[in-house]
Amino acid sequence: MADIVRKQAVSVEVSTVGERLQAMDDSAVVTAFLGGEERAFSELVTRYQTRLLNFVYRTIGDREKAEDLVQEVFIRVYRHLHRFDRSKKFSTWVYTIASNLAKNELRNRSRNPLVLFQTVQKNSQDEDRPLQFEDTTSRPDDMYRKRHLREIVEESVAKLPEHHRNVFILRELEGKSYEEIAEITDCNLGTVKSRLNRARNSFAEIIAPYVD
Amino acid sequence: MDCREFCDQHLAFVDDTLAGIELVRMQRHIAECESCAKHDAKIRRSLLLFRNLPSIEPSPDFSARLEVRLRHCKEEQLAMTHQNLRRGALAAMLASAIMLGYIGTTLFNQGAAPRDMILPPVIASVPESDFTAITTSAPAIVTSVSAGLTFWPAALFAEQVPVRFAHSKLELTNYTR
Repeated sequence: MADIVRKQAVSVEVSTVGERLQAMDDSAVVTAFLGGEERAFSELVTRYQTRLLNFVYRTIGDREKAEDLVQEVFIRVYRHLHRFDRSKKFSTWVYTIASNLAKNELRNRSRNPLVLFQTVQKNSQDEDRPLQFEDTTSRPDDMYRKRHLREIVEESVAKLPEHHRNVFILRELEGKSYEEIAEITDCNLGTVKSRLNRARNSFAEIIAPYVD
Repeated sequence: MDCREFCDQHLAFVDDTLAGIELVRMQRHIAECESCAKHDAKIRRSLLLFRNLPSIEPSPDFSARLEVRLRHCKEEQLAMTHQNLRRGALAAMLASAIMLGYIGTTLFNQGAAPRDMILPPVIASVPESDFTAITTSAPAIVTSVSAGLTFWPAALFAEQVPVRFAHSKLELTNYTR
């Protein structure tokens, strides 16, 4: 009986800590982690894993590699969180790490021309994971059209130059401000605006024949 | 507003960060210019497509894999901390041993009977000088030699000059007589 009561008390404590962490902003969660609360790190992982995965995946086009890179991001965050300047935004720091890792991956890949962006993207999506784009209630032809459209959009993004694509994804998918993008990509504000404008125009040009 | 200005401000127009007056000017331009209206629609439609791309979720084993990697990371950090501590302890022990040794030898030397120091005899000799002193009646000439000449030729020249003048003076007197 005492055991059951103790277990219940522990579970209540865990849930309250979890709830408290969920209610905190990033900065407070980071402070909690540095103060010795290990569960705070899990909260950070929960908050950022999907966002980072989408960002890295759209940048490099390889889902498996994107997962590996996101894990690497969290490992680096874990190792170096004590060095993080808490006067700055945590999300900007995390995205900077992810962006640099994605950039390195693309650089390594460019040295090995056998791996192509589109090839990797197609293979990883068609074989390894179920499609989430389709609604099972849709008609087959509708499903095909949607799937085809998604592939076209992803291929069009992949055709953008790397530095344009990076800015484009950060702005359009992650909703980052120009200032944050400038900090993440280590560029000035003017460069960010110019790259974003060019990326939008190029993307619209590439995709126009398919959607008109 | 012309089309060029419209294109320049289109980024802010799409992001809705333009000031009120500029926004109205852009909207008016779209109403007037068919080409710019088409461009605007094309950009907005493509962005809509991209923004509506389905989000991908981490695979089911993502958390488990991350957990394993984090555990390794913690173990590594712990091992490194232990290693650093061990190194620090070893260095401290070594330093203490050296210090104790030094203190021990100092104390031992102090305890021994004091002895008079016997120094070896010092033999000193005065070196003979090879140089002769310059005897010149006009040191002003030496000091007035230009900086381009080395010192000794200039000094010798200065030493011989008054002698030559004296000789020529004597010969002149002989001729006149």
